[in-house]
Amino acid sequence: MNRVHVVKTILWALVGLGLAVAISRFAFGLGATTNLTDATPWGLWIGFDVMAGVALAAGGFVITAVFYMMRRKEFHPMVRPAVLTAFLGYVAVVFSLLVDLGLPWNIWHMMIYWNPHSPLFEVGWCVMLYTTVLLLEFSPVPLESTSRYAKIRTFLMKFRFPLVLLGIMLSTLHQSSLGSLFLIMPFKLHPLWYTKILPILFFISAVGLGLMMVSFESLVSGWIYRKKPETHLVAKLGKAAVWVLGVFLIVRFVDLGIAGKLGLIFAGSWESFLFVAEILIMAVIPMIIFANPATRNRVGWQWAGSFMVVFGAVFNRINVGGLTMVSTTGDAYFPSWMEFAISFGVVSFMILIFLFAIEKFHIWEEQPRELEADPHAKPRFSRAGEVWLGAPAVAGRTKYSFAFVLALAIGFAIMPGKKLHSGGIENVPVEAARGGDTLYVDGNRDGYGVAFKHEFHIDTLGGDQSCVRCHHMNMPMDFASGCFNCHSQMYQAVDAFKHDWHASPSGGNVACNECHAEGENRTAASAKSCESCHTDLIPAGATIEIESYMAPAYTDAMHDMCIGCHREVNQQRAELPEQKDLALCGTCHTTAGPEYLRADVRERLKRPEFNRVVMPGLSLEDGK
Amino acid sequence: MEALLDFAQGPLFRLTFAIMILGLLRILILDIVGMVEAYRKAGDKSIPWGLTISRTLEWLFPVKRILNHRPIYSIISILFHIGLIITPIFLFAHVRLWEQGVGFGWWTLSPQVADTLTITTIVFGLLLFLGRVGVSRARALSRPQDYLWPVLLIIPFISGYLCANMGVSPAVYQASMLVHVLSGELIFVALPFTKIAHCVLMPFSQLVSVLAWKFPARVDEDVATTLDKKGAPV
Repeated sequence: MNRVHVVKTILWALVGLGLAVAISRFAFGLGATTNLTDATPWGLWIGFDVMAGVALAAGGFVITAVFYMMRRKEFHPMVRPAVLTAFLGYVAVVFSLLVDLGLPWNIWHMMIYWNPHSPLFEVGWCVMLYTTVLLLEFSPVPLESTSRYAKIRTFLMKFRFPLVLLGIMLSTLHQSSLGSLFLIMPFKLHPLWYTKILPILFFISAVGLGLMMVSFESLVSGWIYRKKPETHLVAKLGKAAVWVLGVFLIVRFVDLGIAGKLGLIFAGSWESFLFVAEILIMAVIPMIIFANPATRNRVGWQWAGSFMVVFGAVFNRINVGGLTMVSTTGDAYFPSWMEFAISFGVVSFMILIFLFAIEKFHIWEEQPRELEADPHAKPRFSRAGEVWLGAPAVAGRTKYSFAFVLALAIGFAIMPGKKLHSGGIENVPVEAARGGDTLYVDGNRDGYGVAFKHEFHIDTLGGDQSCVRCHHMNMPMDFASGCFNCHSQMYQAVDAFKHDWHASPSGGNVACNECHAEGENRTAASAKSCESCHTDLIPAGATIEIESYMAPAYTDAMHDMCIGCHREVNQQRAELPEQKDLALCGTCHTTAGPEYLRADVRERLKRPEFNRVVMPGLSLEDGK
Repeated sequence: MEALLDFAQGPLFRLTFAIMILGLLRILILDIVGMVEAYRKAGDKSIPWGLTISRTLEWLFPVKRILNHRPIYSIISILFHIGLIITPIFLFAHVRLWEQGVGFGWWTLSPQVADTLTITTIVFGLLLFLGRVGVSRARALSRPQDYLWPVLLIIPFISGYLCANMGVSPAVYQASMLVHVLSGELIFVALPFTKIAHCVLMPFSQLVSVLAWKFPARVDEDVATTLDKKGAPV
């Protein structure tokens, strides 16, 4: 396989994997696919795809400014690839945003329901307008391939200069407004990154990155198609980038100095390490490379320098977008593999479109010729099946589609099935209540629970005869089994019957025909009732009727049981003597001070005052 | 055993089933794209549509051919195909799994019909295999996969029948289920890459042959150049 084929095969595989995950994302939701939480609602998709995606698209407006406004004609070979990269970058941003939004079908709302106070409103409008502008800027290129659309093309070409101007203006607005977005979270973002001039920093770094992204893209695509690298142009861009990155560094450090935050760089914390790494990779080392004429003109150094700026800028956007918020939120978020799969899939898809455009349209001065697409190349045969692999174009198509299909299938296979089916609801097993006369009900052992006066309820409800009032089902060979036996999951309904356990050799070891009737489909309807074997399953006089063996979640079961009963009791009483109404939410869900919490739990949950403790008017120490 | 069964019914099933569906779609699309390209390049664009369609239908529903040509073999083959396709798709237990997994199901066979179809499939599959081995003319045309396929195809039917009807102990049931699932998955994976791909390519078999013989204009010169025989008689 030649270089183009290898690259495209890998990209198609990544697209396949991403598509599998995207399907699961839209079928099962964000909770099932991502590691995002309420504390970290913005993850990889915002930090990398949206923030860094927009930044990486900066090449478009930078190069058009250089070419059309500064009239540096020597950059002509780079204009079309840069505009195409920018356009695809923005399309990638839109794709990723749709994946990340909880209700993507409402994306059009911002066009009708204006909220001019929201930074996201500006970001959204800028993305929308600039993507349109880029489309109009680029569309003359594919249109020139046939004469059929010549009129449309001439029409569009008339507006070329205004479009370029509009593009530069919108980019300036938009690159900076992504920074403005973070001005509203001064307490979340680490002080080394939080500054009121964040929008300005975003804009300056975008210009520097734009120059280097165009260089990097030129080097990479040239390498793929074995084209002579545009060394002299990259060197010129590098020289310009030194100035821009220099300005960026000065502004960044002067701002930190004025705010008196320079000391934080040497604090030795995780953030100070991130800061130093970011500054070195994004600005300092590339500046050294491109300031020195000896390294600036060498292809190898150009690769290194431009890649470092690209990587460093992505790193910077990810830092602002979430990585430096970790110590504030205390939520150690790391993206799930499925988030990575979507990000890589979207990027790969855009690269494939880029390569397609390079091959089909007049993007480069000289259109690349696929080596294997020579019509007089010798046909080849697959060794295994002696099947004719056909013309090389067919060979490529065969390989790409195979890689795509295989990756898509693997994507489906390795998805965590249980997590998907739970819709992202946490799997929290329930543990038994502890205590004697008073039971402490705390199923997930997080320190918040209910002190339930068990003995008191027995006495009030009528002694031993009253057990069945609550204990509506027995485990085999048991009496008044505990709630946790069946309601064994905190937040999910559980199958209390456990069909597979009954049918398993290591479990019940019951053959199919011992329960299911012969000659009928094996369903619940054709099976014997549970009581025909477990005669003491439902105790006599049980007041709660079993509708199905799907036991509600522990929290649901407990709430229903307590509130249901207390509501009845309240109706029977004329007034509630000295006792609060236990059927009301606020009676139990009261804010409690840290003294109600165990020390280790307090430590783990960080902010005990935000949680609510469930304690119906008495503590365990009372024992009443 | 149970862990293995869980794996075979979970991730491995998703993998192999996806490979089958997507793989079949892939060859179908490649096939159609290839035909479109051949038609575009063709010098002579006249296609005998009526004849092609009627021949395709004749092959898809080979009623006419039953009596003309080896009637016993034809009938066995047709009944085998009916059982092979209908039973797994409309089996109650399978549809129930789809209902539980993806939330929708469809019409199902009664247990008695399903059992009958299963047994006919097994028997006719075996007969087809014996025909391959026993008839010297068939042997001469056969590749290894031609012997393997009838055998491989009836393994899930035998093990499935065992699971559905025999009052076996759970241990035997699970072993049999494992064979059922794994052999089914082997079929899924192999399907798009072997001759069984005819399950989707069959409707185009006649059209492909028609289009494949439409050579582009002046293709002879390209052939000569490729073979390094430019100017020489080919």
